[in-house]
Amino acid sequence: MPHLRSLLPAIVFTIAYAVVSIGVTNSYYQLVLTLVPVWAVFGLSWNLLSGYTGLISFGHAAFFGIGAYTTALGQIYFGLSPWLLIPVAAMLGGIAGLLIGFPTFRLQGHYFALAMLAYPLAILYVFEWLGFQEVTLPMKRDAPIAFMQFGDPRVYTLVALAIMLATIVLTRMIEQSRFGMALLAIKQNEAAAEAAGINTLAWKLRAITLSGAIAAAIGAFYAQVLLVVTPQSVFGMLVSAQALTVAMFGGVGTVWGPVIGSVILIPLAEILHAEAGDRFPGIQGVIFGFAIICVILVAPEGLFWKLRDLLRKRFARSTPQTTAAPDVTQPVAATVTPLTVARKRAATSEVVLEVRNLSRSFGGLKAVQDVNFKLHQNEILGIIGPNGAGKTTLFNLLNGFLRPDQGEVLIGGRDMSGQRPHTICEAGIGRTFQVMRPFLRMSILDNVVVGAYVRAKDEDEARKLAADAIARVGLSDVADRVAGELSTKELRLMELARALAGQPRILLLDETLAGLGHGEADEVVAVIQQLARDGITIAIIEHTMQAMVRLVDRFVVLDHGAVITEGEPEAVTRDNRVIEAYLGKKWVAHAAH
Amino acid sequence: MNKNTKGRNAAGMTRRTVLSGAAAVGLSGLARAQQPAEVKVGLIVPLSGIYTRPGQVMKMGAEMGIDHINKQGGIKALGGARMKLVVIDCGDTTEKAKNAAQRMVAQETDLVAATGAYLSSFTLAVTEVTERAELPVLTLSYSDLLTERGFKYIFQTAAPASRQSELGLPTLMKLAESASGKRPKTVAMLMDNTATSIATAKALKEKLFAQEGLQLVVEEVWTPPLSDATPLIQKVRSARPDLLLFMPNAVSDAKLGLEKINEFGLGQGKIPTVSFSITIAEPDMLQSVSTEAVQGIMTIVANWGSKGQEELIAELKAKYKEPWATQNVVSTYGDMWLMKEALEKAGKADRQAVAQAFRTMDAGPSKYFPGGQLKFDEKGRRVGAGVVIVQWQNGVPVTVYPPELAQATPFWPKKS
Repeated sequence: MPHLRSLLPAIVFTIAYAVVSIGVTNSYYQLVLTLVPVWAVFGLSWNLLSGYTGLISFGHAAFFGIGAYTTALGQIYFGLSPWLLIPVAAMLGGIAGLLIGFPTFRLQGHYFALAMLAYPLAILYVFEWLGFQEVTLPMKRDAPIAFMQFGDPRVYTLVALAIMLATIVLTRMIEQSRFGMALLAIKQNEAAAEAAGINTLAWKLRAITLSGAIAAAIGAFYAQVLLVVTPQSVFGMLVSAQALTVAMFGGVGTVWGPVIGSVILIPLAEILHAEAGDRFPGIQGVIFGFAIICVILVAPEGLFWKLRDLLRKRFARSTPQTTAAPDVTQPVAATVTPLTVARKRAATSEVVLEVRNLSRSFGGLKAVQDVNFKLHQNEILGIIGPNGAGKTTLFNLLNGFLRPDQGEVLIGGRDMSGQRPHTICEAGIGRTFQVMRPFLRMSILDNVVVGAYVRAKDEDEARKLAADAIARVGLSDVADRVAGELSTKELRLMELARALAGQPRILLLDETLAGLGHGEADEVVAVIQQLARDGITIAIIEHTMQAMVRLVDRFVVLDHGAVITEGEPEAVTRDNRVIEAYLGKKWVAHAAH
Repeated sequence: MNKNTKGRNAAGMTRRTVLSGAAAVGLSGLARAQQPAEVKVGLIVPLSGIYTRPGQVMKMGAEMGIDHINKQGGIKALGGARMKLVVIDCGDTTEKAKNAAQRMVAQETDLVAATGAYLSSFTLAVTEVTERAELPVLTLSYSDLLTERGFKYIFQTAAPASRQSELGLPTLMKLAESASGKRPKTVAMLMDNTATSIATAKALKEKLFAQEGLQLVVEEVWTPPLSDATPLIQKVRSARPDLLLFMPNAVSDAKLGLEKINEFGLGQGKIPTVSFSITIAEPDMLQSVSTEAVQGIMTIVANWGSKGQEELIAELKAKYKEPWATQNVVSTYGDMWLMKEALEKAGKADRQAVAQAFRTMDAGPSKYFPGGQLKFDEKGRRVGAGVVIVQWQNGVPVTVYPPELAQATPFWPKKS
């Protein structure tokens, strides 16, 4: 349950809105007042899927229309009350979400958006074919309340407001739970989320089911307001667009976005129709479109975020913050050298991860061929090789992003090759990425919490694990700042913390030192060494050897997908094959022996 | 010659103007106290979006109607009160139409009646609002559904869709028989899947084809917009029916179909072609197809400019540069006179009284609507509402049936 305090603005807004609308007696203004929460809820349902996961849906009209036709046909053919039909519509919408989501989530990015576009258009034709071109709700003169046909239009507004408040509360609950975090993680980087132990498909299906249910419920209510249902008016392109417009105008990924968008745009469109449209028919569309373009140019992420950024800036200026970061990492950095003692011991201990004959090709390209190596308990293994040697592919095979063509990956003696990434994460393998994609608007703590869910039973435990992980990488002082304000080094450390939050036994670090200055790299190296001392086994990919030589116990060198040599740093750096792989044949002669 | 009088006149004028002005104000104030000097009626039609054009044409009809009524002395029962038109744009979606209707009843509280809203989906939404506001609405939309909801404030002047084909097809068969000497035996039907076409097709297939001894040999349905008419027309060519029912509801679809019919050598009467909507006879058609391509094509519609309306058609041509009067003009023009009739009968500018006047009206044969009388049944359908058959003749769609309204004699395209 979200804290009451976080819901206070929503409750105050709803009550204020209700008070205002009760005072309005003009039935036309009242209709506009009813439509505002209707489209706000539709925007919220879109936001629940697309705003939080970043998977843009152009087809939310599919759910909306299913809801609308449920109330219409349910009343005509079965004589049921809309009070009953709206929940039924929600259920059908949820089922539709599941059915649509399951095949469509195989697609990503634009392909997902375009596939979603097809559903309402296809359903539209089905309803036309079924002969439901024009359906009107039967007028119930004898039992208006039971059939939601209120004589007083204010009641419609109140019902719409109740649905809106319920949707806001639901969205808030999701936002503040593991569910919301999982969706946000999917948005920032689906691969990273999966690697952090999140079953992305399951969460996405839950999101589209819920989103579909809400959209269908509000579509059902909308039919009750409009009283006439045509395929175009509920499945049409304009309907899907309406959800996008209000959410994107107001702000994506926040509960307030669709509400703000709806409160501004719906009355604006109506005023334009009423005032300008009667004098210059058609001008209303031009002005409306122009206004939206202007706002999107000025505030590309929506009004809410723009306003929040402005407020933050003003707040920050009035209370200048002292950036206190460096003193945290300093003491850790001082302990770089003593680790040399531990090195020799590590390579001889128990094997925690073993790779046997691992191969993977992409068409004719053998990205990884017949790779064998062992990772010992508490060891730091460096996997190096020139660009394109197959290092990242190897990691992707280890943590389940790719299926090997042949070979085995034994984790703790058990073959885990071909398992889904979140399963492998559960088995104790954490991973970071070469390209960072943090969620810039979230605090560091929230960014890290995502990684903790794989181990945590509840929210509190997840927060605790995340705080611990942040402390281990030395970011405790800045834990509440949003990720967008961090330096590259801090982002690298934050990524490391996210991997740590899941309490892995083995960490796979993919070019963690990339893009760091000399001093910064040392600080990160110090943190990694500390982790090794704490008992975590680490495999790290890097193509610059300099920092690695001081960090690792052992090297595995890859070139053209195959292991060319392995051994201790001193030996490997002198190996001719390594020099050749890095610098080309002619440099072998120049190399000092 | 005016030089002498000018100065004197100027001074005199001032005094006289002031006096007469004061008198006028006093008089009109008096008149207002007894009866409203103005009676407002609404026109709610699409004036923005893709249905703008028919909306504009309806507005022309309404404006001419109001103008003529006021010129002949306004509403006599209300002391010569003038009618005033309130125009409301109902946009291009069902939601916009509903919102516009709500605005109309909330903002224009002194309306006594209204007419609209072109597309039957819009009319459905508009009348859901006006029914609750108890505002009588006349409509030229002909979906059966409009007057099947048990509403008390809707009055449909056109024959409903199912009735139109019932009235039209037998006439068409007679026409074919008398002109060509033999009855058509086979028929092909190409239609879009809009509500109107579906309703028409239902009546045809369930009853009329059998009744007229017609065998349906080709039936194809498309969803507008039609992208390619080739497969449709190919089927027609290989079946060679005696009659082709081609039922588009968008000018672009009609154009594609007709072009293809001509391209396949089936045009100009090789296969007599009949439609069931005004689309195929809209002035826009001539911008996309040649007069030869449409020659002889017939359509069965609820209303059209016809014999006895020559002055109206001439005025329409002069004032608005419209080449001929379609259903939209004539019906909306007629609606204004219907409203006047109801106001005269009601004797007061009150929507309840006007609605009651529509319900009890029995004003004999109608001048601006084909067939029947100015009388509505309990559903709100005009009693005896008929259809007219329009035929393209030399680049103009003219009324050819019924004979009393015909502007020209029909010819049946001969099968070669």
